[in-house]
Amino acid sequence: MTRQAFMARLRAGLRGLPPQSVADVVADYEAHFTDGIAAGRSEEEVAAALGSPDRLAREIRAESTMTRWRDERSPSSAASAVFAVLGLGALDIMILLPILIAVASTIFGLVVAVIIAFFAGAFVFAAGPFIDPPGGPVTALLAGLGIMAGSASGAAVLTMISIGLMNALVWYGRLHYRLLKPALES
Amino acid sequence: MPEAIEIQLKKGALELCVLALLSQHDSYAYEIASRLADAIGMGEGTIYPLMRRLQSDGLVETYLVESKEGPPRKYYRLSEGGRKSFISQQAAWKSFSGAVETILGGVQ
Repeated sequence: MTRQAFMARLRAGLRGLPPQSVADVVADYEAHFTDGIAAGRSEEEVAAALGSPDRLAREIRAESTMTRWRDERSPSSAASAVFAVLGLGALDIMILLPILIAVASTIFGLVVAVIIAFFAGAFVFAAGPFIDPPGGPVTALLAGLGIMAGSASGAAVLTMISIGLMNALVWYGRLHYRLLKPALES
Repeated sequence: MPEAIEIQLKKGALELCVLALLSQHDSYAYEIASRLADAIGMGEGTIYPLMRRLQSDGLVETYLVESKEGPPRKYYRLSEGGRKSFISQQAAWKSFSGAVETILGGVQ
């Protein structure tokens, strides 16, 4: 593969990452070619020693999204990390996919249930004094508060479980690096 | 299985080797990569994520040097923290590898 082809495929694979990190990575590998050629190697030899640019780009992309997940715990950083791990395209990740979908939909269902429970609690709390519930308005106020507190702690537990699962997936994804291994594992 | 052991060994040694090279003199990524690729058979492209990690951990610093042909070249040097880390990792490595040597020698 020529230098130009290698760099074009690397660039194409990195599309979507922050421009500054793409520029850094591209500059590193450009310099690697320049130095390799100055040392008397051909473009093809340098490219072969670096490995497949597509694979390299996928691993750099996965690493960058996983770092973002480590720094910023948000649904969007979690989603990009999941897709990046899937993008590594190992066969056993394909086997993992149905399990992942099942777990994700279960968690989504529980989140919806917790939100509904919270609003139901709020309704009991707010409407209690006006609709003459069994046990009197004070019971309704307390019951409403109890339901809201219960759903809030349910949400907290769900968040912790989701973060734990994401971290496990990130660990699993890192096992599938071929070109960047072992430099990234500390 | 031997392959897994080899990967684990290289993983542990790679960072130490980079710090050792930089403790002798400042260097640039290609030079580090080609010395390590020959010596311990690591992939050449592996050096870049490693250098980025060492930099974000504050163990190495970079500076640019004008070159005759092409763009300026990025050099790495050990930071004060990097030098300390190298000295302590070197001591740990020597005592560990010494102990392993002794045991391996005893087996023969």
